[in-house]
Amino acid sequence: MLPTDELELKKFFVPEFILGRGALELAGRYARNFSLRKVLLVTDAGVKQAGWADRVCTSLNEADISYEIFDRVSPNPRAGEVMAGAEAYHAAECQGIVAVGGGSPIDCAKGIGIVTSNRRHILAFEGVDRVQMPAPPLVCVPTTAGSSADVSQFAIITDEDERRKIAIISKTLVPDISLLDPLPLTSMDATLTVDTGMDALCHAVEAYVSNASSPITDLHALEAIRLIAAALPEAARAPDDLQARYLTMLGSLYAGLAFSNASLGAVHAMAHSLGGLLDLAHGRCNAVLLEHVAGYNYAAAPDRFDAITRLLGQQPEELSGNERQAAITRAVAGFRRSLGIDASLADLGVEPGDLPALAERALSDPCMATNPRRPNQKDIEEIYASAF
Amino acid sequence: MHRRSDPEQDWDTLRRRIIGLGERSIHKSYYPELQSRLAELERFRAILDQTNDAIFLIDAWTGLLVDANESAWVQLGYKRGDLMQTPFCNLIAPEKRIWFLDFFAAGKNPSRRQQAVTAGLLAAGGTEVPVEVTIRFVTFGEEQYAVAVARDITERMRAEEELRIKESALESSTNGILIADVEGYPIYANPAFLQMFAFASVDALSDRPVAEFFDCGRAGANLLERLVATGSLIGEGLGRRSDGLLFNIQISGSIVRNDAGDPLCMMFICMDITERKAAERIQREAYEQLRRNIEQFAILGDHIRNPLQVIVGLAEMIEDPLTATILSQSRRIDGIITELDRGWVESESVRRYLKRREPVAEE
Ligand SMILES: [Fe+2]
Repeated sequence: MLPTDELELKKFFVPEFILGRGALELAGRYARNFSLRKVLLVTDAGVKQAGWADRVCTSLNEADISYEIFDRVSPNPRAGEVMAGAEAYHAAECQGIVAVGGGSPIDCAKGIGIVTSNRRHILAFEGVDRVQMPAPPLVCVPTTAGSSADVSQFAIITDEDERRKIAIISKTLVPDISLLDPLPLTSMDATLTVDTGMDALCHAVEAYVSNASSPITDLHALEAIRLIAAALPEAARAPDDLQARYLTMLGSLYAGLAFSNASLGAVHAMAHSLGGLLDLAHGRCNAVLLEHVAGYNYAAAPDRFDAITRLLGQQPEELSGNERQAAITRAVAGFRRSLGIDASLADLGVEPGDLPALAERALSDPCMATNPRRPNQKDIEEIYASAF
Repeated sequence: MHRRSDPEQDWDTLRRRIIGLGERSIHKSYYPELQSRLAELERFRAILDQTNDAIFLIDAWTGLLVDANESAWVQLGYKRGDLMQTPFCNLIAPEKRIWFLDFFAAGKNPSRRQQAVTAGLLAAGGTEVPVEVTIRFVTFGEEQYAVAVARDITERMRAEEELRIKESALESSTNGILIADVEGYPIYANPAFLQMFAFASVDALSDRPVAEFFDCGRAGANLLERLVATGSLIGEGLGRRSDGLLFNIQISGSIVRNDAGDPLCMMFICMDITERKAAERIQREAYEQLRRNIEQFAILGDHIRNPLQVIVGLAEMIEDPLTATILSQSRRIDGIITELDRGWVESESVRRYLKRREPVAEE
C-alpha cells in the first residue's frame, strides 16, 4: 500500500538540462565550462553511424576540446565494456566524459566515471549509495526518448559472467548536464521508437504508483504519461516529425525526473532480470510486462491506476471496482498493440523453465523495494506466466 | 540622444542569460578549480620525482612511510607499493637504526627538529647505499610527519678516498712538491720540499713568489713566463734555501687546468741533485786524467822506438856473435810497444764512448 503520511520527508533532485532545438551543439561549451581539455566520448556504433557523434565532435572541436572516442558498447552495457572504457579514459588522460546515445552509452559512461574516480571494479558498486567518490563531469546528449539515463541516478550494467543486470543507484551518477535535442530522435526506426517510448511510459507509471512518490514526482509522472500517450504513436508513424519527437522527449524527461526521485517497481525489476538472463531489449521487456504488473499492483493504488487508465483514453468511472482493475490492463495492452508490439515472453525466447530463476533475480532487484505491492516468488512467477 | 544601440536586442541577450544560456551561465562547480589544483600538485610531484635525492614522508607517530618520491624507490630498487606503510627505520642499516629511533622518540623536542646524519640505506637487493640524511618534523594541519631527504654519497665518498690517496702520495713523496696559485704564490708544499729548502712550514713560504725559490741562470728570471707560455718545463738549476744557500736541483713545472682549460694553479716538482752534480765533477776530472795519461803513453812509445831504431841499425852494422841476441831483444821491445800502441787505440775508443755519454753540463 502507498504510504499515507503526506508529511513524510521527500527529496527531489534535478540535474541541469537544456531542452530544445540545437541543444547538442552546446556540448563543447559545457565541456569547456568544466575546464575539460580532453574528454572520453562514449557512444555506440549505431549512433556514430547516424552521424550524431560527429555532430558532437564538431561542437567539441569548435570549443578546442580534444576527445577520445569509445564506442564498444552493447545494447545492454556490460561490466567488461565499462572497465575497458575506464582504461581508455586513463590511457587518453581524459578529465571528463561526453556521452552521446541512448541509455546504453549513457549508463556505460556513468559506470566509466565512477570506476575512474573510485578505482574499483564496476560490480563493486551494486546497490544503493555504494559510490564513495563522485565521477568526473558527465555531459549527456541523449539520442532516444526513453531511458532518461541522462537525468537519472540509475545505471544498469550487465554482469556478463553471471548473466544478470546489476542496478547502481547513487546521486553521484546523475549527469552534470543533459543536452536534450529532439533532432537525433529522428534517426530512430519505428521499433526503437516504440521500445524506448514504452520504457519511458513504464518509468512514468511506476514512479506514479511507487511507494516513494511525492506530490512533485506525481506532477512529472502524470504529465509524462499524458505526453507519451499523445505523442508516441505520432512519432512512430512519422519519424521525421520534429514536433512529435520533441513531445516524446519532453515526456521522457518528465518521466525521468519522476522515476529518478520516486524510483520504479516490479516492471523494471522483472525486466532487468529478463534482460540479464537473455540479453533482451529493455524497452521491449517492459512493454510486454507492464499491463500484467499493473493488474497485479492495481489493488495497492486503485485511484492512481484509474488516473492512468484515464490518461490512456479509457473511462474507469463508468466501471465497477473489479472491472477497473481489468481496465488498466486493457488500456495498457491496447496502447502497446496500437504501437505494433504484439510479442509475448515466449516470442522473446523465454522458456517456462526460466521462470523460477527469473523471479528469484527480480525479487532481489532494488527496484522491487518501491513497488506498491510487496510480491513473493510465486506472485512474480505468476506475473511472468501471464505474460507468456 | 539614442546612445543605447537597440534596447530590444539588449533585452534579448539579457533574457537568454537569465534563462541560463549565456556562454558563462554555468552552475556552481568546484571541478575546474580542483582540476587546476590537481595539475599544480602533479607538476610539483614531477619536480620531486625528478630530483636525485630520495625523499621520504614518514608518519611521526607510527614511523611508517606515507609517501616517497620516485628517486627513493627507484634508487633502492623497490616498487612504490613495497615501501608504503612500512617502518622507515627498516630501510636504515643497523648501525644507525638506533639514531633514527631516538630521533622519532624525541619528536616533540623542538631542539631536535632538524638533523643531518650519514647512514646506510638498505636497497631491495640487500646492498647498502651510503647516504646523508637530513630529517625534520613538519606539521600538516593536525598531522605530524617527518620528512627525510637522503642524498647518495657513494660518489662523494669515493672522491674523498681518492683525494686522501693523492694527498698522502704528495705528502710522502721524496721529491719536493710546491703548488702555487696562478699569481705564483705558494699554497702548498710537501714535507720533502720544506726540508729541501729549509722551511719550517708552508706558512713560512707562502708570501714569497715562486721565482725566489729557483735560480735557473738565464732562464730563471722569466721562469713563470716560460711556464705560462709552454704549459710545462723541465730542466736543472739552482734552488735557494731560506738561508740563501744555493743547491743543485732538477725541476719540472706544469700548469694545472680545469675541464674548461682555465689555469687553476701551477705545480713544481724538485729533486736535490747536489750529490749527483758532485759525482759528475769527479767523473769528469777522472776522464781528463785518463786522457792525459793515454797521450803521455803514446808519446812515450814514440820516444822509446826512436833510440831502439838506432840500436837495431848499429847492431846490423857490426859483425858480432851478440848481434842476433840484440836484434831479437829489440824486436821483443818493439812488439811490446806495438802491444801498448794497440792498447792505446783501444783506450781511445773507450774514451770517446765514455765522452759521448757524459752530461751536457760539461760544455
Ligand atoms: Fe527503464
